[in-house]
Amino acid sequence: MHNSSSSGPPAKPRVGTSQASEASLKRKRGVFQKDLQHMMYGFGDDANPLPETVSLVEDIVTEYITDMVHKAQNIATKRGRLLTEDFLYLVRKDPPKLRRSSELLAMHEELKLARKAFDVNEDSLANAE
Amino acid sequence: MKDPFEAAAEEQDSPPESPIPAEEDVAVAVDVDEEEADAPSQPQASAPPGPAGAGGGGKGKEEDEEEEEENMDVEFGKFPSGGDPDKMAKMQAILSQFTEEQMSRYESFRRSGFQKSNMRRLLTSITGSQKISIPMTIVVSGIAKMFVGELIETARIVMTERKESGPIRPCHIREAYRRLKLEGKIPKRSVPRLFR
Repeated sequence: MHNSSSSGPPAKPRVGTSQASEASLKRKRGVFQKDLQHMMYGFGDDANPLPETVSLVEDIVTEYITDMVHKAQNIATKRGRLLTEDFLYLVRKDPPKLRRSSELLAMHEELKLARKAFDVNEDSLANAE
Repeated sequence: MKDPFEAAAEEQDSPPESPIPAEEDVAVAVDVDEEEADAPSQPQASAPPGPAGAGGGGKGKEEDEEEEEENMDVEFGKFPSGGDPDKMAKMQAILSQFTEEQMSRYESFRRSGFQKSNMRRLLTSITGSQKISIPMTIVVSGIAKMFVGELIETARIVMTERKESGPIRPCHIREAYRRLKLEGKIPKRSVPRLFR
């Protein structure tokens, strides 16, 4: 019995990349494959994780991110735009994730300031000549 | 809700906590044990830059210079706000004892991450809009990475229970996913997913 509706895993052909940027359910496979291989090794898998395992983890993670974003959007629409704080609110019950997210944001700010200071120094040096 | 930057100034521990404490008597999970033992302390010690270069090159982070910098900073740990000299000393002591394989794995653990461009593309396709700020991609990437960590570590625990070894197989991941769901770590879908 052949099910002709668009069910099954989102294994869309790579040809339609230009169309994929529009809001659609099209999802390329293996987008995070390389990153995930290193990540899985770092977390305890073999140095060469099985491809089917990587694919499965990618599917799970993509679904996780999708569900998180939808939940964040549900919270955000009451207020307006989707903000980073909405994600922080989502993980408030998961202390390690909350701590890590806050740390990453703080690092990002520090880097931004450091880069700004660097640019200012460059400018003043250039003007001094 | 607390200001995230205040929270960052107060809190110190960064790495994800493992779902279950380390098993001591499993040969396969030795490296996982090392990481779980590290988990309570803070990985802010300056990791050796030598092998890092070779490992970092192949990780496909050519584009985003910003991303490269962030990973480098995490590696060399120059955060005076979180720099507890005691913890850093402990971390250094542990790192110095690492075997080559452990160091390589730890390096992958620190440096791996989701490509910002790919993450932004994914987030844009989910939200259907363009308003994806850089901090948002950073936070989502961080949360997703920790989630992967939970999955893989739980899968290793499953393997230990089943007394299996070798690379992780999809059945282990599925069992790990099921357990995480029971723990409530997987966001529940308010609308059931059609057309899988």
